[in-house]
Formats: sequence, C-alpha cells, structure tokens
Amino acid sequence: MNSMAGKRVIWLAVPALAFLAIFYAAPLFYLLARSFVGPSGFTFGLFSAFLADAYNWRVIGNTLRIAMLVTLVCLVVGYPVALALARARGFAQVILLTAIILPLSVGVVVKAFAWQIVLRRDGAIARLLVSTGIWDEPQRLLFTEPGLVIGAANVFLPFMILPIYSVVKLIDPRLWEAGATLGASPLYRFRKIILPLTMPGIISGMAFVFSMSVSMFVIPSLLMGDRFQTLATLTGRSFLLMRNEALGSATAVVLLVLAVSIVVGSTWLSRRIGRSA
Amino acid sequence: MTSHSGRGLSRRDALKTGLSAGIATLAAPGILRAQAPRELVIGGAASHKPWVETHVMPFFEKKYNCKITFEGTRSLVNLEKMQKNKDKPYLSIVQMDDPVMILAVKEGLLEPITAAKVPNMAKLKPGTVHMDGMWANYLQPWQGVAYNTNVLKTPPASWADALDPKFKGRIIVPSLQNTEGLPNLFMFAHLATGKPMAEAYKDIDAAFKELQKLKPNLLTVYSQMPQAFSLLEQGEAHMILGALSSFGMQRRLDGAPITMAAPKEGIFPVPSGIAVVKGGPNADLAFAYMNELLGAEVQSKIAGPTFAMPTNTDTPVPPGMPTDAKIHTIDWAFVAENRTEWVKRWDREMAT
Repeated sequence: MNSMAGKRVIWLAVPALAFLAIFYAAPLFYLLARSFVGPSGFTFGLFSAFLADAYNWRVIGNTLRIAMLVTLVCLVVGYPVALALARARGFAQVILLTAIILPLSVGVVVKAFAWQIVLRRDGAIARLLVSTGIWDEPQRLLFTEPGLVIGAANVFLPFMILPIYSVVKLIDPRLWEAGATLGASPLYRFRKIILPLTMPGIISGMAFVFSMSVSMFVIPSLLMGDRFQTLATLTGRSFLLMRNEALGSATAVVLLVLAVSIVVGSTWLSRRIGRSA
Repeated sequence: MTSHSGRGLSRRDALKTGLSAGIATLAAPGILRAQAPRELVIGGAASHKPWVETHVMPFFEKKYNCKITFEGTRSLVNLEKMQKNKDKPYLSIVQMDDPVMILAVKEGLLEPITAAKVPNMAKLKPGTVHMDGMWANYLQPWQGVAYNTNVLKTPPASWADALDPKFKGRIIVPSLQNTEGLPNLFMFAHLATGKPMAEAYKDIDAAFKELQKLKPNLLTVYSQMPQAFSLLEQGEAHMILGALSSFGMQRRLDGAPITMAAPKEGIFPVPSGIAVVKGGPNADLAFAYMNELLGAEVQSKIAGPTFAMPTNTDTPVPPGMPTDAKIHTIDWAFVAENRTEWVKRWDREMAT
C-alpha cells in the first residue's frame, strides 16, 4: 500500500519534468549539437580553435578565479550568519531572516548600480579606509577584481546562508552539550560535531553560489566592464552582438562542462572528506 | 448582504454602458477605415518615436492624406523584418544605423533614390548619400568628448588631452562592440600618425599602439551607455571619449554637470540613415517621406530636439551645436570588413 502510494506520488514531479524537458533540456541539447557542427558537418574544430587561443585560457582563468573567490567569501561570511540564524529566536530571527531574504527581491541591476556608488573613490568604503589610515588616499575599487568579488558575493550571499541554515536547524542541540559534558573544547566540538553535520549544507551552498557566479553576466558587465571577459560575457556577446552562434555555443559548452565538473567533483570530494571526518 | 447585491447591479449597469461605448468606438474607426487614407509603415529606432510622432507624423499625414505607422525597435530587428518579408515587404521606409544599411544593401533589400524621385537629395551636404543613393543621412547627431564641468573648467581642446597622466583612472571609452566605439579607433590612428584623417584612419595598427597609452587613464570600457554617463555625472569619471551628443546634451539640459566638446581634431557624425524598402507598399509615399526628411522644413524642426546637425544645407545649425568643427565621415564598408578582427584585438590588448 505504502509503496503503491509512493509510486503514485512520483507523478507529482511530471509538470516540473515536462517544463524542464521543453525549456531546458531541449535548448541545451540544441546548444551542444550546435557547437559540434562546422561548415562541413561534425567537427571538434570549434573547440580546438577556441582552446588553442591563449587569450581564451585567460578568460577561462578569469571565470574560475572569480567564481571561486566569490564562493569563498560567501562561505566565510555566510557560515557564521547561518549558525546565528539557527540559534536566534523570536524577533531577532525574524529580523535576520528578513535581512537575508528581502535583498533577493531587489534586481541585480539595481544592486550593481548601488555598488557602483559604494565603491566610488568618494564612496563609503574608500572613505572608511582613508579615515582609518589603511589608505593614504582614495584608490580605485570600481572596475577592479576585488570590487567585483565584493559585489557578486553580496548578491549571492543568501544562497550560501539558507542551505547551511536549513541543516544547522536540524542539529540536535544536545549533541553540543553532550560534547561539553565529556570535556571537549568549543573548537574541538565545532570541528568534530558541527562542521561534519553541516557539511551537506556547505556543499549545497557552495554548489549554488559557484554555479551562479561562474555563469553571471550582468554583474561583471556592470562592475568590471568590457575589459574583463568571462566565459559568460563572451558567450553573451557572441550571440547578441557578433551574431556568431557557433562561437557562442562553443563558449557556452566549455562553461557548462567546467561548471558541472567542478560542482560534481567538489561535491563528491567533500562528501568523502565529510564521511571520513 | 443587500448593499453587496446593490453594488452588483450597478456594476452590471456599468458593464453594459461600457460595452455599448466600446462597440461604438470599435465601429467608428470601421467607418473611417472604409474611406481610409493609404498607410505608410516605417521601421525605425524606438528612440525616434518622440520626434516622429510630434514633428513628422501630423505634418506628413495632413499634407499627403495618409496614415503613418511607426514601428520603433533596433536596427538589426528592422533588418530581420525586411529579410523575413522580402517577397512581400510591409515596411516602406527604414530608419537605421549606417552599418546595418550596408547589410541591407548586400541582401538587396533597399531601393536606391535619385534626385528625380527625391529632389531634396541635391541639397544635402557632401558625404551624406551612400552607395549610389542606397541610403542617405537625414540628421547627424555627433560624437565628441563629454566632460564633467565641475572638474574641467575649460573644454578639452584635443582628444589627446585624455592621455594626460592627471586623468589616471578617470577616462571612459565605449566598447568596440558598440557602434559608437569605432570613432576612437580612427581618432587614435590620426593622433598616432599625425596624418590627415582621410589618410590616417586605415592605419588601425597605429591606433591600437596609441591606445596603449590610454590604458593607465581608463576607468572602464563601457557597453551600457547610461552607466558611463552616470559615472561622469557623479564625478568618478572626468571624460567620455566618443560620447553621443544626443545623450550628453540631453543630460546637460536635465541639469547634469556635464557637457560636450568638439576638440580641434574634429568630431564624427553618428549614422542616422533613411532608406526606401525595395518593393515596399506605396512607393510614391515612401519617396515623398524620404524627401520631407531630407528637406529643410522637417530638419529644422527635428535637429534641435535630437541635438543633431542637419544634413540639408539650407537648414540652420541649431544653437549649441558646433558650427566650425571638422566632421569626419566614417568608412562603414571598411568597418564591416574588419570589425570582428578589431574586436578580437581590442579584447586582447585593452584587457585589464
């Protein structure tokens, strides 16, 4: 009876699967196919030409470096917030949750323009750094890699916090107390209890943030401009401006392969580490 | 409960009145349509809509007893509309950027104009009729140097002023992927070689080498124009090289602390082309429309609001426009041939 109901419940996923098949899998397949078609049929030519160009390796490097830095910043900033959020009660928790979720309703373009004001030479960050004596005079932050990482991390932070929070919430608080009773130091308890138990949240948070930042298009074009190309901006330009579908498909496929293999690979690796810890 | 049903009744009444009114309004144009004047469909840019509707439409519809439908979009979309309907075009006129005109000519989508069909053609400035009459420029908004008036008390006298080390990280240029990005390339070829523009512009290699000198001064290379102007207005940027007058001068009117300069080396007209669609409906009206847009009467009305220079020699230059600046016409065929290569090189050499 139970397994019968279980089988029937699976049908609930049909609308979403159909939607994905039509609007995601089919275009993706077309894109993949397109990148293997040259003037005279099937070819790897597009890829070999793309990868033979040193400049494109720089673009790949830009894309991965920025995505990793953004993911790292989100993790370092977001993890403690997720712990705090899980511990907070009542009004404090409402305030925290609102502060994390509400910014999601503000469009990326608006955020990017706001960061433009904050990162200006007479903006808040430069003023703070000058008044604290870290900088002698205002430096340029806008259209620099640190500026891009700060801005992108701000946009993607909720996607790191929420998955970790949902896992932390499930941890039995008595585990922590039991560890203390047995004489473990707070650091030891964190390393041996909290960190392994939150690993699934960390993994999904990192997968979310990495996939979004590796493929972001609007944020780098507004916070870095045309002089810093990533695979996503190169793809966008090939389709939208140069009308070079073949090149666009090839860059999109390279991006897809890199992103999927890094997300899948790191998930597998951290699961192993999590299990052995 | 009763008040609820009461409201329901009056709502139904309102619906009835609304319906009959709707039917009446639907019927009225039907009657008009019966004796309808001929229709002229124009494919232009979305940004053209205000001046077409205010200054051209009422005047033209009255004079020629016809109806204009203006479809405002992007040049490449207009090109597609022509390609897709090549056998049975519905557009009669296109107002597009010159680079897109070249593509349309290549695909045989345009009907050349002659002085017999479009008499005002004879009154145009030199260099404004292209490819044996395939299209003409009805206006010339221009590209020069936009600068922040709070920072620069005097207008930059030369394009080379932007190379001064005091502007470190303060200069913005358009991306080469934007049409307005191309003139900088030609200007830097001119600055590098010192030769007259007509000779210098083909030396793209020299241009790229000269552009290296600009790199320390670059704040960014934009692909979104509003962003560049907002940085200029905020004072984070001090100059935009190759800024569009139609954008820069409008912002000045709106009260922003910026204005446009026409440095001594000259300025570039922005491609505002008009052409007759080959085989399009009502060809006589199409040629008449083109003639009016190339005429002094319409140009004197639209040049001011679009911050452009007229192309008809009988039209006075609106106040605030450069009157004695050198104007360099862009060789769009040369651009079309080489642009992909230039963008590639630009990516590599101008990267951070």
